[in-house]
Amino acid sequence: MTSAPAAAPSAIRTIALGGNPNCGKTTLFNALTGLRQKVANYPGITVDKKTGRCTLPDGHVINVLDLPGTYSLVANSPDEQVAMEVLRGLRPDTPAPDVIVAVVDASNLARNLYLVSQLIELRRPMVVALNMSDIANRRGQPVDAVALARELGVPVIPVVGHRGDGVDALKSALTQATVPALPTWLLPEAIATAITTVGNALPALPHAERERFARRLLAQETAADLAAARADPAVAAALANAAADPATVMQADIEARYHWIDAIVARVVQPGAFKPGTTLTDRVDAVLVHPVLGLGVFGLIMATLFVTLFLVADPLMGMCEAAVSWLGELVTGSMDGGTLKSLLADGVFAGVGGVVVFVPQIALLFLFLAILEDSGYLARAAFLMDRLLSKVGLHGRSFIPMLSSFACAIPGIMATRTIESRNERLATILVAPFMSCSARLPVYGLLIGAFFGAAMFAGTPYEPYIWLIQGGIMLACYVLGILAAVVTAYGCKLFLGKGAVTPFILELPTYKLPQPGEVVRQMWSNTAKFLTKAGTIIFCLSIVLWAMAYFPRLPNEKILEVTNRHNTTPVVIPADATPERETEIRNARASEIDSAVAGAQLEYSISGRIGHVIEPVIAPLGSDWKIGGGLIAALAAREVFVSNLSVVYSVGNVEDDQTPLDEAIRADTYDNGKPVWTPMVAVSLLVWFVLAMQCISTTAIVRRETGGWSWPLFQLVYMNVVAYGAALITFQVGSRIFGG
Amino acid sequence: MLPGALTLDRLEPGSKAQVLSVTGVLPIRRRLLEMGLCPGVTVDVIRRAPLGDPLEVRVRGYLLSLRLDQAAQVSVAALAVAPAAVA
Repeated sequence: MTSAPAAAPSAIRTIALGGNPNCGKTTLFNALTGLRQKVANYPGITVDKKTGRCTLPDGHVINVLDLPGTYSLVANSPDEQVAMEVLRGLRPDTPAPDVIVAVVDASNLARNLYLVSQLIELRRPMVVALNMSDIANRRGQPVDAVALARELGVPVIPVVGHRGDGVDALKSALTQATVPALPTWLLPEAIATAITTVGNALPALPHAERERFARRLLAQETAADLAAARADPAVAAALANAAADPATVMQADIEARYHWIDAIVARVVQPGAFKPGTTLTDRVDAVLVHPVLGLGVFGLIMATLFVTLFLVADPLMGMCEAAVSWLGELVTGSMDGGTLKSLLADGVFAGVGGVVVFVPQIALLFLFLAILEDSGYLARAAFLMDRLLSKVGLHGRSFIPMLSSFACAIPGIMATRTIESRNERLATILVAPFMSCSARLPVYGLLIGAFFGAAMFAGTPYEPYIWLIQGGIMLACYVLGILAAVVTAYGCKLFLGKGAVTPFILELPTYKLPQPGEVVRQMWSNTAKFLTKAGTIIFCLSIVLWAMAYFPRLPNEKILEVTNRHNTTPVVIPADATPERETEIRNARASEIDSAVAGAQLEYSISGRIGHVIEPVIAPLGSDWKIGGGLIAALAAREVFVSNLSVVYSVGNVEDDQTPLDEAIRADTYDNGKPVWTPMVAVSLLVWFVLAMQCISTTAIVRRETGGWSWPLFQLVYMNVVAYGAALITFQVGSRIFGG
Repeated sequence: MLPGALTLDRLEPGSKAQVLSVTGVLPIRRRLLEMGLCPGVTVDVIRRAPLGDPLEVRVRGYLLSLRLDQAAQVSVAALAVAPAAVA
């Protein structure tokens, strides 16, 4: 075999790591680049672009590009598409790498060499990093790196990515990277003839390229570099003339590669005493995917995840909020009142608070996901759940995103990236916000507490069962969301899928101990993505909503009017009051007036006016303008509904316990004396909150993940129409049966 | 069951078979072949998922799971057939 001359050291500017999923590529990337890496996006798509810098032994600094894992250069998913396009040099935003580092899992050599058989044809200098040789050695099936290098005609460097073994040798080997010689594929006579026929129609290409190009054209590959040739009438004629069945060519090509691979594997792998079915992975799987135990352990793991997201994240979320409000107090505390102070306190710091409050939950979720993914369990979870989810048109991999969405739909939707099939991923994104997220809990808490609590049932025979009634209603909210998700997913299957079969062909990787460094890195990079993308939007929207609640200002005469209304009676100070008691009484009056003015201001503001404008629309749901204003505010985040009502009902500081608010809403009446809030209003609102899409951050993330506005807008309209319809039916039917 | 031509989805866990051919729409057929399920290769059926689908097999030394729909696209000759599990 002859090899092209090695790349001159100074010529190397960029190297790319290519390899199968689960081959340890990212670990090797981390070992090469250390902390000098950054994650961005390929323009227009949501595939991560991970780049880093690495210093070669001669002091030369090069760029390292970590490509998404791929089984083949014929892409099946957006991730694989990117890997293929970068390696083929088809992406204008990413120059083709000067050296390809093919990362190969030594313990799964045959299947990993399939991609290598395609990388060889790219005619670029290449080095093979033989990863996980420790596992292959432990199995008694060591791979002879020297023999493999001889077979492939490129340097082969054994590495153990997570220990950093062989990384220096790999760096040195980059300068010795060679363009491998082309193997000869053994193809059936008829197909070889067809390839020659089509190859002859490609005179513009160098001789050596023609055959490969012809083969890809005949197998109906869709890569961008083939489009021009396909459009050429001479090529089209040759393709018709060759009359080869694309599937036959495709299969002959793959078989020829595996034929070549089998021969190499036979020469470089020691046929050790390894007995399949006896590895640690097999023993672990005997429990983790056991018909009974497997589901039990799965339930346990998911319950742990769920409970952690609520119980552990909750105090952390409280601390985040407290820290931001402390900081806000520090900045604005010494300021006089006025627009700037309000902007900072109620706009900027409330906005920052609205972003960071999500961070603990999101970070924890991504921590869990990274551990599950790295250990190899995530693929098992998909394996266990696929049957259940495929019934409604989802995928085994939809489970984790759906579960995560009970905490927050944002990380849930971000986690759908592990679903390869586009339809199933889209369906998962569309239904994820139906899961009752933690932002809905304060609303559920307020409504259930106010109308199905002690005040409602005290002295009735139901009193001992309040907890059961409240728990039951809470559970019903969760179940309603799940039902809506199932029905919607089924609809997606009927309309999106249009009968197309989406495959589930998933590797179950060898179990590995997750690497703490890598897990933390993944958690951080995903959380940072949330902070920069969703965070910016949530923050900006908070400012807009602040402005809507702040402007226009209440004119002075109205402030005076409200003040006077609350000052009709003189402040009574008992004769025996201490000076402290007197201050207390005067302060109480002052704060009563402040609250009333704040409430009047909110009614006068844009959001209050919108509340009035939409009143006719929400009246059939049993809601008035005050609830309407709350619903508008809840667009930023659902829990804002509660604090907004607190302002409208002038119950003062929301940080106090919420008892005054539920008393206030129960006491509120229309002019005719009928109560504004009834249990049916509460139930109708609960239905609305379960089903409605009132989270601009989720919409922003959906836009990002689907790459356009059409799906997020569809989702927004769809969910809100469903929610409105369901809330309307609930209220209209319910109040006729139970009499409001 | 007699050893002979049948499809992968019909094999009980514990069976061993040799792939004869792979059919189906081109992208799925391509992926099955690329994952190493080529004619001539030996496949061990390891288990079914607890809910009955998908199927887990060992091919070329690694574990692969696929829905029964996809396994039905793989024609095999049984080399060793495990008895059906007693329900």
